[in-house]
Amino acid sequence: MTEASLYFLQQIINGLTIGSTYALIAIGYTMVYGIIGMINFAHGEIYMIGSYVAFIVITGLLGMGMVALPVVLFIALVVAMVVASSYGWAIERVAYRPLRGSNRLIALISAIGMSIFLQNYVVLAQGSRDVAMPPLVSGSLVEFGSLETFQVTISWMQLLIWVVTLISMTVLTLFISRSRMGRACRACAEDIGMTNLLGIDTNRIIAMTFVIGAALAAVAGLLLGLYYGVVNPFIGFIAGLKAFTAAVLGGIGSIPGAMLGGLILGVTEALTAAYFPSEYKDVVAFSLLVLILLFRPTGILGKPEVEKV
Amino acid sequence: MVKRFSKTLIAAATALAISGAAQAETLKIALAGPATGPVAQYGDMQKIGVTAAIDYLNANGGINGMDVEGVIYDDACDPKQAVAVANKIINDGIMHVVGHLCSSSTEPASDIYEEEGVLMITAASTSPSITEKGYDLIFRTIGLDSLQGSLAADYISGTVKPERIAVIHDKQQYGEGLATTVRDALVDAGIEPVMFEGVTAGDKDFSALIAKLQKADVDFVYYGGYHPELGLILRQSMEKGFEAQFMGPEGIVNSDLAKIAGEAVEGVLATAPKSFDQNPENAERVAAIKEKGEDPTGPFVFPAYAAVQVMASTIEAIDSTDPIAMAEYMKANSFDTAIGTVKYNEAGDLTESTFLVYELHADGSKTAAQ
Repeated sequence: MTEASLYFLQQIINGLTIGSTYALIAIGYTMVYGIIGMINFAHGEIYMIGSYVAFIVITGLLGMGMVALPVVLFIALVVAMVVASSYGWAIERVAYRPLRGSNRLIALISAIGMSIFLQNYVVLAQGSRDVAMPPLVSGSLVEFGSLETFQVTISWMQLLIWVVTLISMTVLTLFISRSRMGRACRACAEDIGMTNLLGIDTNRIIAMTFVIGAALAAVAGLLLGLYYGVVNPFIGFIAGLKAFTAAVLGGIGSIPGAMLGGLILGVTEALTAAYFPSEYKDVVAFSLLVLILLFRPTGILGKPEVEKV
Repeated sequence: MVKRFSKTLIAAATALAISGAAQAETLKIALAGPATGPVAQYGDMQKIGVTAAIDYLNANGGINGMDVEGVIYDDACDPKQAVAVANKIINDGIMHVVGHLCSSSTEPASDIYEEEGVLMITAASTSPSITEKGYDLIFRTIGLDSLQGSLAADYISGTVKPERIAVIHDKQQYGEGLATTVRDALVDAGIEPVMFEGVTAGDKDFSALIAKLQKADVDFVYYGGYHPELGLILRQSMEKGFEAQFMGPEGIVNSDLAKIAGEAVEGVLATAPKSFDQNPENAERVAAIKEKGEDPTGPFVFPAYAAVQVMASTIEAIDSTDPIAMAEYMKANSFDTAIGTVKYNEAGDLTESTFLVYELHADGSKTAAQ
């Protein structure tokens, strides 16, 4: 392969890695929107909390002398998912459920307030500085191309991100399409009033979508925390914004759309940084969003919303 | 019962002592800088220096009998918040400011101080544009980027002699200003950098940038900016097997860089103010700071200390706290401080300042580079 194509390949690999994590976070936005038509702006903070919890657990376990890395990571993953899910559940209970049925804007303000609250709460509890962790998963799996021209590397960490994302997405897709709860979930997305009339506890289904979204955000929190090695209370804002963009790009309300949107956004960013000065990364990514919305206002895989009569 | 009574007594005595102190005249000095946010470490350095200087003054009778009190204002290194902080300082009636820290905060704040007649000495902002406006009340106890940048460029072209140089910055006033100075100085020396690019401050993923540096066969990277981004760039470079010599300004010099980047920090070059804590004349001050369990090695600790010293000796000499009279005296005289002799030019910049090239180590320490 020529140098140019190797370089292109490397940038696609980088883009898919970051895109996978956007997709994980985007699921939370899209599921909540799909069911109650609300943008949960506090979702980025859930990701941040998930990252913090994973950091605390990993540092704690390593400090206690536990050395089996897969075990440590697994425990961190489970704890982060559980803690983040309970935050997701509590947020829905405290900040959104009492406002359901009122104007949509009111719930939106409540979401922004929740986001500010959570960010400041973590600043107070954990300090506002970067917390760093030594690289745990290092080394690369594949290296090809020659040193003289350009060497493509796929690190273990990137592979871990892909595998974990793929597993989470598969489990989620199976859950939504096969399980009883999943069916109830789809019914709610179609017509929440009717579903309620048919005897399904829609409150429970809504709470569950928040829990699932939060758990996936925690997975992203752990993965990105390991990948970058630093976490601070402000990472939720940018990550949330990017994931929200990914969700809109793919068609908000659509789960496959969020996955696709995340990957497209990640790859676009990487390719822009590759062939233009890196400072244009966000400009191009968001221009793409505007373009797609101009031609497909519902996003790539979104269905046009039919006014329910 | 007796125990409780004695506690009440202590409380009463403390209350009396506090109100007694409040009755004596106090000079309040505002300490403006980031106390929170990603670069709060630098705010801490400034606080350590200023508090040490104030403690020393108060232990030796204050300034002309006035006690000195430092009041902390947090601008989080955010230009918008810096303006709010500057207005708050003026509303609180404080006329003397040590700060701000980040050049992008210092510049908008200094507009306000100059207009409202408040004396400001920054111990950390190195951007030349702050004093270019010809303000009367704005001073520094640190050198300018033009000095630091040309020192870095000299070192690159004279000592390191790399083949392909990339200059990266964080698009902020401080980082981009420095990166531009370095690039221009390199071009003057006949070396054309192969890349000049910005990254977004707060970004976490630099894999695309690193692949690009690898493709361009870069063997030397100058980074204009602060440690959170450079730390991640170093860390991700090591993971991707990108081996180049990195160099940065004093904004990357703190132990958190090593916490973020780990082993990758070893051998990174940085220009920073001379390590004043190594100065034998500062031994007593260093000991006093260490006694409080604080770290005297940060690059801004002693410039901040000196800022308070300059203010104190000016007030003592002219027996007035009027900022305009103080500024006149400061420009006309020289001061013996913790950072050596301080003498100002008309613009309020130091007539001489010492930046040196240091080599950083993975344990967070630094040594003078050869």
